[in-house]
Amino acid sequence: MMRLSFFCIFATIVFVSGQDQDGLINSNVERTLDLVSHLPKEIISVTIENRGTKATRYYDYYVEPQHVNNVAYVGAIVKGKNNDDQGNLLIKQETTDKTKGAVYRIALPNDLRAGQTIALEIEVAHINALRLYPAEITQIERQLVLYKANPYYYSRYTTQKQKTTVTLPTDRAESYTQTPKPVAKSEQTITYGPYENVAALTRSEITLHYENNNPFLTVSNLNRWIEVSHWGNVAVEETIDMYHSGAKLKGPFSRLDFQRRPDSLSAVKTFKTSLPASARDIYYRDEIGNVSTSHVKEMQDQVEVEIRPRFPLFGGWRTHYMLGYNVPSYQYLFNKGNQYVLKMRLVDHVYDDQLLEQVTIRIVLPEHSRNIEFYPPPYGVERLPNEKHYTYLDTVGRPVVVITKRNVLFQHIQDFEIHYTFDKFMLFNEPMLLVGPLFGLFCLVIILVRLNFSISRNEGSEARMRVQAVWDQVVENNLKRTGFYQKIDDALNAYKANKDLKGYNEQRKKIENELKTVQQDLAGLQAKVKADSADSAEKIAELQRLDTQQREIQQVLSGLAEKLVGNKLPKPAYLTQEEAARIRLREINARISAIINQY
Amino acid sequence: MDALTSILPFKQLLPQKLSYDKQETFLKLFILASAGILAFATRLFSVLRYESVIHEFDPYFNYRTTKFLTDEGFYSFHNWFDDRAWYPLGRIIGGTIYPGLMVTSAALYHALRWFHITIDIRNVCVFLAPLFSSFTVIVTYLLTKELRNTSAGLVAACLISIVPGYISRSVAGSYDNEGIAIFCMLLTYYLWIKAIKTGSIMWSASCALAYFYMVSSWGGYVFLINLIPLHVLALMFTGHFSHRIYVSYSTFYIIGTILSMQISFVGFQPVQSSEHMLAFGTFGLCQLFSFVEYVKSKLTQTQFDALFSFALVTVGFALSIAGLVLWASGKIAPWTGRFYALLDPSYAKNHIPIIASVSEHQPTAWSSFFFDFELLVFMFPVGIYYCFKELTDANIFIIIYGMTSIYFAGVMVRLMLVLAPVMCVLSGIGISSILATYMRNLDASQPKKPAGTASAGSRSRRTDDSSTYPRKNEIAFGVICLMSFFLITYVFHCTWVTSEAYSSPSIVLSARGGDGSRYIFDDFREAYWWLRYNTDENAKVMSWWDYGYQITAMANRTILVDNNTWNNTHISRVGQAMSSTEDKAYEIMRELDVDYVLVIFGGLIGYSSDDINKFLWMVRIGGSTDKGAHIKESDYFTPQGEFRVDKEGSPTLLNCLMYKLSYYRFGETYTEQDKPPGYDRTRSVEIGNKNFELEKLEEAYTTEHWLVRIYKVKKEENRGQS
Repeated sequence: MMRLSFFCIFATIVFVSGQDQDGLINSNVERTLDLVSHLPKEIISVTIENRGTKATRYYDYYVEPQHVNNVAYVGAIVKGKNNDDQGNLLIKQETTDKTKGAVYRIALPNDLRAGQTIALEIEVAHINALRLYPAEITQIERQLVLYKANPYYYSRYTTQKQKTTVTLPTDRAESYTQTPKPVAKSEQTITYGPYENVAALTRSEITLHYENNNPFLTVSNLNRWIEVSHWGNVAVEETIDMYHSGAKLKGPFSRLDFQRRPDSLSAVKTFKTSLPASARDIYYRDEIGNVSTSHVKEMQDQVEVEIRPRFPLFGGWRTHYMLGYNVPSYQYLFNKGNQYVLKMRLVDHVYDDQLLEQVTIRIVLPEHSRNIEFYPPPYGVERLPNEKHYTYLDTVGRPVVVITKRNVLFQHIQDFEIHYTFDKFMLFNEPMLLVGPLFGLFCLVIILVRLNFSISRNEGSEARMRVQAVWDQVVENNLKRTGFYQKIDDALNAYKANKDLKGYNEQRKKIENELKTVQQDLAGLQAKVKADSADSAEKIAELQRLDTQQREIQQVLSGLAEKLVGNKLPKPAYLTQEEAARIRLREINARISAIINQY
Repeated sequence: MDALTSILPFKQLLPQKLSYDKQETFLKLFILASAGILAFATRLFSVLRYESVIHEFDPYFNYRTTKFLTDEGFYSFHNWFDDRAWYPLGRIIGGTIYPGLMVTSAALYHALRWFHITIDIRNVCVFLAPLFSSFTVIVTYLLTKELRNTSAGLVAACLISIVPGYISRSVAGSYDNEGIAIFCMLLTYYLWIKAIKTGSIMWSASCALAYFYMVSSWGGYVFLINLIPLHVLALMFTGHFSHRIYVSYSTFYIIGTILSMQISFVGFQPVQSSEHMLAFGTFGLCQLFSFVEYVKSKLTQTQFDALFSFALVTVGFALSIAGLVLWASGKIAPWTGRFYALLDPSYAKNHIPIIASVSEHQPTAWSSFFFDFELLVFMFPVGIYYCFKELTDANIFIIIYGMTSIYFAGVMVRLMLVLAPVMCVLSGIGISSILATYMRNLDASQPKKPAGTASAGSRSRRTDDSSTYPRKNEIAFGVICLMSFFLITYVFHCTWVTSEAYSSPSIVLSARGGDGSRYIFDDFREAYWWLRYNTDENAKVMSWWDYGYQITAMANRTILVDNNTWNNTHISRVGQAMSSTEDKAYEIMRELDVDYVLVIFGGLIGYSSDDINKFLWMVRIGGSTDKGAHIKESDYFTPQGEFRVDKEGSPTLLNCLMYKLSYYRFGETYTEQDKPPGYDRTRSVEIGNKNFELEKLEEAYTTEHWLVRIYKVKKEENRGQS
């Protein structure tokens, strides 16, 4: 055993010296421990100096063995530069050493040559690091927590000068360790240090017992469902199991006390979720229906949903809900030909200082997507085998990319990318699935209605249809006929005005000839219909008779007009006679239309 | 049909090229489709106003069982023993429900899933009743068409699509047996009419199948299985009995009875219980009648008379002996309480408090007839008149249906539902007959605008002879205007009733604020959700039975009693606990292994159907068994016989568990301005007993508006500690 550990140490030394980083020292460290929320956050500003001879590319950040499982996030940036210009430095987690702890290898932006210095800012987020003490409180009590930390910066390099500042949520601290000196407390902050020349991997322990009534919300399980539609929409739904991870409620819950004291300490009444600015159709519900208590506020760069669970959450209480919305796909989906890229947040904001213990993301791509490649954000996620999802109008199922990750924090809200191939014409697959059957149905109906499938001949209905067809023609002819009479009338009136007998007669002849053809047509129809319906034939004959009468009256009118023009008839006599003729004409017309209208 | 096309005003809008057959088909389809869509749409008020949510109490149970059925499959559903309800007894759900509703929605759900239409089972449940209402519209059309003619059918279909009496039980979210049962009932009637008209075995067998569907979906099938025999009997007495009736009824009865016995909840009732005896007796009578007819045709009159009197005596004697034996041996089940309540409205009040306590079992107020039917109340007799005028086999049926159902609807509010379809059918007949009569007069007196087809013309010529009074046209015009006015008011009334009275889900309450904004009280779901997530999974919750189904469905916790009310003793035990003092109640609660007690309290917001207002029923039911004999209703009244919760109230009331749980710490609350603390807004009094502490229970949760209060029963203290 002994030999083995010697071997380990030796191997480590060889390994480390192989990298040749022994020359690094931390010349100045300023550490801020932010204990305001339920997730202690550590920001370490460290100035690194290369006192060795060789240039180096890496800086190792160590986490103490007892905190290895508590660290949910480590990030680093170069200090001093404009923060917007630079991304986070690349960090790789090396194997964990039982005695020394976990190693995060930070890749420096460029070689740090001998004698050079660089300032880094390392951000570390701890989870489950606070111990509730007492673990159970009543409704009106304040919530106290216990936090244990190392006053020194735990590093594998010697530290020349360092200082640790602890920020508490309130200025009330039940107790805090007074050593190692110097320790100073002013209101919300406690300062440990400055200490000088601390050796590598020095460990000590301070204990802080203080009040923390900030929401101890924890999401035990979050299922995020992203459904991409190439019709311009991305639907997102999050199913959330949430609990209050603070001190458990002891004894009764009194609504009266709760209402009397609106600042009911540790209970969580409401929290805010930020959604993308383009989110619409937002819903907030659970298995038993809408949760009718929420507000949506649209802001410049986000949509803020104020979520109120059905009941206030006290320590240990749980709840469950779904939050869903749609976003337009042009903001997230890009394509070049048939190549598509989906780029959106792997997880989104649930509440400030969020801790999502288990997250499962399912990304549903359109049916017939191929060559799916997933590019995770710059932290480790686990990809599970693809699934199939069937929904409206699916035939072969939509591919679902499944991703899981544990302990997701605010810092993990970053983009992922999925590249896939989708043939554009497949977009019309689903409409065709709708159109096809409907078209078939209509065709079927048309065939059934238009064709006669009866085995026996139905003479009656066929005769009726023939009669109907004849009558249609009769109606057409009648229209023509009335048109011609109208023309005759017009010609007559024109003649009365210009007294051009010759022109009038010519015109009348022409029209009367045409009327004759109409009459012949009608006679033909009459003969045709006779076999099927004597009644109809009679009616047409009646029509013919009326037509003849009408022609006669027309003749009379024309004769009267000639007389009038030739001054053979005084005007008043003409008017009375014309009037009589017109009345008869109207009667005839009424009877004709009565016959026609019956069909 | 010609009358139909001629009375329609928008003939001009139809494509001119269509033949009259096609025009008629087109119109029928158009009207029916519109009525069907209207029936569906008018039931969606609550979904649009609130959300797609299940309403009331019973639907929650149906929803829960449907969910179970879709998740676990039919066999585990059939064998389901539910240990979440009636603790510690449990309930055999598979054998004590009518599964038709659940099977229907599960089938629909699976069919849709098969097409990859991923609709949630909750939405299937919510929209099932409106969907079936649309089907009902079509069946009503078919039924009325069989009874009278197409136009009457169309009028009836339009009437039923919006009749409030039916809407009250079939709005979206009202996921109850009645929602599909009315459809099944009308389908059975339609097929029955078809069967007696044709005398065909096919129609009778279809009728039996429809009857099976009806039996599987609602206990109200008993009405149906008595109505059809009644119809056959009536036909016998009026001399309308024929071979067609014989064939239809025999086929229907045999197949229908065998099928109905396949429903495990029904079991052997169709051959044992008195409720089904009419059907059985009529079946026997049919055979006898036919046999006698047969014998009569073979014998001379004197021979027959001798044989007949001999047979009458022997058979009558044998039958009465057999009946007595069966009665004595208990083979013929006594009539159940609900059935007695139908025949004798005062029966329930005197004998079974649990039946009387349900508001929908109360006799109907006359005003609710008008509220639920409006115009139909007046047109119903008109329809009956027209049916009597042309007394056919089918018309006798609808007359009997109308008469019996109007009686039952008068006895029990709930049975308004059975009356609604026949109201629509008969009113449809009435209205269409009136309209057809006068519309013709309108046509006849205007020769300048020739009416419709040649045949309509000839018909109007015929009516000319019969109606010879003066000013025919004007009178016809007046009558038609009046009818149109009535029909228009009917539409407005129905829409108003639906929107105001029948479209609130009751699980969510809403109120209008001073500035007109809507304020929602979602306390019920708040409490149930709290129970679901923050109590032990096996916790037992005691509450009055009204909330049982909701608690099991939404909170998923074990409850003692629920809306099934099958065990009066158990409910009585809960009633005793609620009406005893805290110490006594604690003993009962320990005995029943209760972890939480849930009460509904409306005093803070003025919600009137809370537990205090229902409390007298708890006392009555609690005192109705031997164990609760010491609980007397009179103890809870003041000496003057009043039920008061203020200082004047009886001390028994002011110290009982229900009072304490409702008013715990309420005495410190200010509810209204210028009123003392502890002012109860529902009963408008200041409560009488204010500053008390609970010893055996502690407040576990109270909702935002104090509507639901949940208490935790403390465990007994360890021995030797106190």
